[in-house]
Amino acid sequence: MTEVEPAVASTANRLCPAMADAIAQEMRADERVVIWGEDIRTGVMSTTRGLHAEFGDDRVVDTPISEAGFLGAALGAAMNGLRPIVDIMYTSFTYVAFDQLVNQIGRAQYMTGGQVSAPVTVIAAAGACGFAAQHSECSHPMLMNAGGLKVLFPSNSHQAFWLTRAALRSDDPVLVLYQPSLASARGEVGPHPLGIGDVQVESHGSDVSIFAIGLMAARARRAAKQLAAEGIGAEVVDVCTLAPLPIAALTDSLRRTGRAVVVDEARLSCSAASEISATLAEHAFDALKAPIVRVAVQNVPIPYAPSLESHVIPSEADIVDAVRRVAA
Amino acid sequence: MVQRGELVKRRGLDWLQALIDVRVFEQQLVELHEQGSAVLGAVHLCIGQEAVAVGVAGDLAPGDQITVSHRGHGLMLARGLDPERMYAEIFGRATGYCGGKGGSMHIACPELGVAGANGIVGGGIPMALGLARAASQRGTDNVGVAIFGDGAANTGNLYETMNLAAVWRAPLILVCENNGYTEFTPARDVTAGPGIYTRAAGFGIPGVVADGEDVVDVNLAMAAALRRARAGDGPTLIECRTTRWRGHHEGDERYAGVYREAPDTSGDPIDRLTHELDQLGLDGSGERAAAQTRARTRLRNARDAALAAPEPELETAFTGVFVG
Repeated sequence: MTEVEPAVASTANRLCPAMADAIAQEMRADERVVIWGEDIRTGVMSTTRGLHAEFGDDRVVDTPISEAGFLGAALGAAMNGLRPIVDIMYTSFTYVAFDQLVNQIGRAQYMTGGQVSAPVTVIAAAGACGFAAQHSECSHPMLMNAGGLKVLFPSNSHQAFWLTRAALRSDDPVLVLYQPSLASARGEVGPHPLGIGDVQVESHGSDVSIFAIGLMAARARRAAKQLAAEGIGAEVVDVCTLAPLPIAALTDSLRRTGRAVVVDEARLSCSAASEISATLAEHAFDALKAPIVRVAVQNVPIPYAPSLESHVIPSEADIVDAVRRVAA
Repeated sequence: MVQRGELVKRRGLDWLQALIDVRVFEQQLVELHEQGSAVLGAVHLCIGQEAVAVGVAGDLAPGDQITVSHRGHGLMLARGLDPERMYAEIFGRATGYCGGKGGSMHIACPELGVAGANGIVGGGIPMALGLARAASQRGTDNVGVAIFGDGAANTGNLYETMNLAAVWRAPLILVCENNGYTEFTPARDVTAGPGIYTRAAGFGIPGVVADGEDVVDVNLAMAAALRRARAGDGPTLIECRTTRWRGHHEGDERYAGVYREAPDTSGDPIDRLTHELDQLGLDGSGERAAAQTRARTRLRNARDAALAAPEPELETAFTGVFVG
């Protein structure tokens, strides 16, 4: 499923700077690529840092706080020869522009019978970051359900670089999401490309598969190391492509282990964890040695107080506990 | 300043045909509806408003892109779309512009400068801004045009777009087709202020009002806005005041007299242009009859061909969500 060719790998060694480097490389290679958003010249969200200095006012454009306006304009620009990137800061902010994102951008290709494509890339932080419920949404389940959007959710620098590049080279609308507390997470960008449809597997054994997204994937990797020390071998499947869901990659892992824990920072109801669990059950029920366990946020908005916030978000310990139960 | 009489002499007969084409195209849909035909989904007609479509499209160049509302058949025809493929789309046929996936409210043909129609009131306004921005960024002198109704003038999309268009000095023309009704509600009951066009002032861009039942007046307003846009001087808002003769959509006759009065058809744009041509000694009345005959023949054939066209393959429902 890898769509990208090998290229000079990035020297960026943190997650958001790796995204910024992927953007800069594409902007150098293709003058149709432009980036719009709020406060992107200053690079408040480090996804855009350095771009304005190199590419200037025409291609790196600070917008007013008009999410519907500039997302809709991005569609028009995409239809008329540009390849716009929109940095919308937080997926929480897509809600004020959901018509433009879902109903306009996400439907253009289908509703026009293929006359129009919408090569728009939307970058946004998704997940808890200490700013309370209106900034903390993990909106990826809604976006996965939109029906015309591709959704990527890198959790490390390597994924961030290669998946951002894949998004920019896609002729479809793609969202590239990242958990804000991972924005500065250290990590190298390796030489092996990832594309839309890929997941990243890190194996510590074949007792159980942990399917996890974003910050939960980072926590699952740590949990797997702890579990390995206890003698439980876990395979972490970082589901960095959420839509279209890479079904074969998910079931392949389950067939190796027979047990599944699915971890998501979204609310449990209709979460990505729910979709992944249902998919595993439908496609590989015969491989299951134990019931699938979902670990997600209870059905509440994300609270502000750090103590409450960390209480509702699945922790490394929550993941370890769930795996122990499934592996028992 | 173009002399009105000269303009009518030069282009009046073409415009008369264009107005009549739009009217007849839609009258044939009314006919189908009255026959109880099952081939129609929701259709929103612009009968009575044809002067806006023909006046707006008259001076557009190839490469200019427009976004239109759910009431957009007139603009599509005036832009040169094939009536047979439009009918086919409305009837949900494979040969329609969108292969039957869009229907009346969503006919598009970017190749001919109709980037899209919209089922969401105001939904296409920001898109037109992006079309305009891309046109100028690519170094062309093409423009983007959003045509929307009075209902859309009360959505935030218009204000977000006007602000950004003014900041960018984008080659954008915003055409509000004020037909007196926002869906099933008289516009005056839900719209504040002395006129929608006056709202442009807050953004420091020209706002003008045009007689939306006069193709010449619409064309002149549009020509001025196009000159401004192509010269790099930025956007214009034009409010075209017109009259919706039909309901919000075909089939809402049961509400006639409830939310709407009998339409005032005294400003019929076809009558007015015919009269003006007569006054100029160009035999408007005779030309009108001939144009009507041509339109009926051509459009009846188009409609019948579309009715005979095949349904889409069922498999297509599951394809074309993504390019890759």
